[in-house]
Amino acid sequence: MVVSMRSWVANEGGKHLVLMLWLGANTWLFVKTFLLYSTGQQYHYLYKMLGLGLCISRASASVLNLNCSLVLLPMCHSLLTFVRGTHKVSGRKTRRLLDKSKTFHVACGVAICVFSVIHVSAHLVNVVNFSVNYSDDFPALNLARYRGEVRHNNSHFFPGVTGVLLVLILFLMFTSSSYCIRVSNYEIFWYTHNLFIVFYIILMVHMVGGALKYQTNIEAHPPGCLQANQSSTEQQGEELEHRKDEEQRCREDAHFQPHYPQTWLWVSGPLCLYCADRFYRYIQSSDPVTIVTVIRHPCDVIELRMLKKNFKARPGQYIVLNCPGVSSFENHPFTLTTCPTENKGTFGIHLRVVGDWTSEFTRTHTTMGDLEILPMVQQRRYPNDGWTGFRLQRLYFIWVCRELQSFYWFAELLCALHHKLWQENRPDYFNLKLYVSQTDNLQVGEKYRLLTSRLLVGRPRLKLLFDEIGKTNKHKRVGVFCCGPKSLSRTLHRLCNSAQSFGTTFEFNKESFG
Amino acid sequence: MGKIEWAMWANEQALASGLILLAGGIVGVAGQFRGWQFAAYSIAAGVFVCMLEYPRSKRSKGTSVGRTGQYCFTVCVKAFGPVTRNYYVRAFLHAAICVPGGFLLATVLGCVCLGIASLIYLVAAIRGEHWEPILPVKEARKPVAESMKAPPQNPPPRPPPEMRRKRVDDLESAAYDNPIPVTANE
Repeated sequence: MVVSMRSWVANEGGKHLVLMLWLGANTWLFVKTFLLYSTGQQYHYLYKMLGLGLCISRASASVLNLNCSLVLLPMCHSLLTFVRGTHKVSGRKTRRLLDKSKTFHVACGVAICVFSVIHVSAHLVNVVNFSVNYSDDFPALNLARYRGEVRHNNSHFFPGVTGVLLVLILFLMFTSSSYCIRVSNYEIFWYTHNLFIVFYIILMVHMVGGALKYQTNIEAHPPGCLQANQSSTEQQGEELEHRKDEEQRCREDAHFQPHYPQTWLWVSGPLCLYCADRFYRYIQSSDPVTIVTVIRHPCDVIELRMLKKNFKARPGQYIVLNCPGVSSFENHPFTLTTCPTENKGTFGIHLRVVGDWTSEFTRTHTTMGDLEILPMVQQRRYPNDGWTGFRLQRLYFIWVCRELQSFYWFAELLCALHHKLWQENRPDYFNLKLYVSQTDNLQVGEKYRLLTSRLLVGRPRLKLLFDEIGKTNKHKRVGVFCCGPKSLSRTLHRLCNSAQSFGTTFEFNKESFG
Repeated sequence: MGKIEWAMWANEQALASGLILLAGGIVGVAGQFRGWQFAAYSIAAGVFVCMLEYPRSKRSKGTSVGRTGQYCFTVCVKAFGPVTRNYYVRAFLHAAICVPGGFLLATVLGCVCLGIASLIYLVAAIRGEHWEPILPVKEARKPVAESMKAPPQNPPPRPPPEMRRKRVDDLESAAYDNPIPVTANE
């Protein structure tokens, strides 16, 4: 499919720019550290002993430092919501970039895993080289106790022990964060991922008692100089030898010192920020929420209306529900379908009974009266007066459901909205298209004539829809918001990037919970 | 937390451990460590574990998504019948495989990771889970409905020919029924 440059830049440009910047930062850090260890004067003797393994292990360690600090930042949800909400700080492009924060977190996580493998492999080679190239000239530099020592375990070696623990925790976190596990057993993912705090604590003390030492007295003992009991083996003219002796005679023995742990410099800032963010979210959630109304809708959907003090929300945002009666630790996100306004403080969600938490939740609350279920529908609330100040010029609402009864979840709202817009002489503001994908047993009732007249049987032909919308909105920017399964969102994403001849830019957005 | 399928997590861990064993073995052999025979063993063990663990099991509840290209591995693993179906066997097999890896520094990590996977397989086996192959399902053709046995024999009912012919002299009754009242242009 031919790609439209304008749409591609609008949809993918920002993401790819951030990706390039991140890759560039990682590469620069890797190369800089590599060169430091391979050409730096203070590492001269160490490099002679260990070779490439030293440079690769240290370079990958610095990349690990960077990624371990960056990986926490996209997870500060409250901070990101705040940045997203302020109009001064972020324009639309920045807000759309912030939607991709989870992808950035995953990218940093993968980089941590890859570079951990490189780091561990390089250090294994270092262990061998410490043993094989045991230095008799500089005994302080050695890790091995004698030449040719074969280390079977590193239980006496603190960075070794902490290193193994770190990789084990990383292994547990990584294996439980695949898509399959997250979808089927979210608890395993959640509980293992919370081991990150142990990971960071161990990471900060990983380098204590380190094996890699640098030379502290470079001026007094330039690396490669002749020791007092050595002499130059080359036969040269007398003056040359005299001058060489002057330059190359060491004034003192080489002194070595291990590095202090530096990881805490990188990591402590983002870690404190994340802990503060988590604490803030905990404080926010400690205020209880009152359930005001529960409405049962067909097809296992319930609408829940709630009330909470000082709760402000905007259309498109989601809330995370925790019901201690069902499960103390499980938190489930739901997009808001009704936001609190100045007149009415209640906010609402629609909830569909799909898994064990939702069915338990439904069961617990039906006895009390009301329960809420949430389908993934985004809804905009318009003010009662005044249309100026809204940049939105037209809204196309395309809804595909399996069964006809599903449309009843929002039938009242859609009819009310349509009626209101007709009264205000804006009939083309809201364009509704409903699709029913299961074609058997269709019995259209008399109620909601407005909806049934806009009902089409079968899946929507998305390419034709895009052509129609593009034709009627030439040279405009159309935002596409997708709530649905991955296959649908992939198709829509591709269509948004593809070329058409109307000059319209389609910006793709999909629902993402953090 | 009652409905967790432990075997799925154990499977991911075992696959990752196989890869770690393989990587550690390659480093050990390439670096010519002392005791490189253990590294060579762990390369073979890593490959074996990866091949055994690559095909995902069918979930007891919900949709199962297989890994790409896992069909041939599924067939091979299924061929061993109850040996690969039972998770107790897998747990003890992994525990036995991982032990020689512990003798060399390069492969000790793979050993520990496989040991953890083996423990989780034991938990899964105690909870009564077992391995089910994911096989492609043949879509059964929906039988044609009863009423579609024969097409209609007669044409639809129509009014007699005198009424169907357009009567120029009587425009009022020949015209269509307008839903919206039409007024003449003044």
